[in-house]
Amino acid sequence: MSALIARAEAHSPEAGFGERIAENQRRVFQIAFSILGNSADAEDVAQEAFLRAYQKFRSLREAEKFRAWVNRIVFRLALNRKRGYRRRLARDTAWQISETRTMVDGARDAEKQVMLDRLHREIERLPEKLRSVLQLSLVEEMGAADVGAVLGIPAGTVRSRVHTARKLLLEVMK
Amino acid sequence: MTKACQKWRGDLLEVALTGATAKGLEEHLPACANCSEELSELRARKARLDALLPLVAQGTGPSADFRARVLAAAEAASEGKRARPWRLWTLAGVTAVILAALVIGATSYRRRARTVPADELAAAQILTEWRAPSDVLLANPGQEILRQMPRLGESYLHVPVKMPVKMPLKMNEEE
Ligand SMILES: [Zn+2]
Repeated sequence: MSALIARAEAHSPEAGFGERIAENQRRVFQIAFSILGNSADAEDVAQEAFLRAYQKFRSLREAEKFRAWVNRIVFRLALNRKRGYRRRLARDTAWQISETRTMVDGARDAEKQVMLDRLHREIERLPEKLRSVLQLSLVEEMGAADVGAVLGIPAGTVRSRVHTARKLLLEVMK
Repeated sequence: MTKACQKWRGDLLEVALTGATAKGLEEHLPACANCSEELSELRARKARLDALLPLVAQGTGPSADFRARVLAAAEAASEGKRARPWRLWTLAGVTAVILAALVIGATSYRRRARTVPADELAAAQILTEWRAPSDVLLANPGQEILRQMPRLGESYLHVPVKMPVKMPLKMNEEE
């Protein structure tokens, strides 16, 4: 059955798309997660990014092109989702806000969770320019050049902004 | 931290963060317990931060069936796209057929309407000449009589009686 699917895939004009998903899904998910802070939304946005890539797959066959394009699109989609999310939060009641705070995944114990929540809040307080650079830099396999390509800034600028952001966090994370 | 040590604040952060050495601080540190303590506190904080920061991006990672779901969604989307032109052409075809049928129907109807049988034409002409029954009554001689009758509240004296002019002369002659 899977062999059949693989053969069909190889003959379709979209052959190789599954392979591209496999290569990029972890990074694409992490870009969305670093901005949104919860897995459900991050996965939603990651899927949307891949579906958009599929629509223009003919021009994105090349692995490097695909990678750069999908990095940019998932970053934009995640920011859009977050803006909508913020508007909703502004309307909603306080208990809903506290509930979304606990949606942060990845922490093993309560103390770490508390620290992570604080870190999230401090990152949110960073100036936008520093925040985006830091969030993208925290993603695995995202070097300064990759981050710069997403944001349209030189790699050197990325490095100096990451440094400034870390310094600010070190000062406030007592 | 004392007020005099405030100027080392930035350097301490830099040293803790990068491990680099700062000019002047190297001489100050052995002499200042405050700054030494501050530096070791900053180094510990940096280690905690380094452990936490990757978690900001990691999360649980995409679920195991993520790739399969994206592929299925992509397939469904492209099938919808492929189906759309087919539906468009069908719609266009059906519209064309209906339009053609309408045009043919209208033309043949008009052609038939031009050759109306003679008896139908006669019946139609009779119909145009038809009058309501009251019209016939009004054209009757009885109408004259009705006009000469007094209406409610009138007397026979006031009714303008139109007598034939020759009648009394004839009567006179007989006498
Ligand atoms: Zn000092």
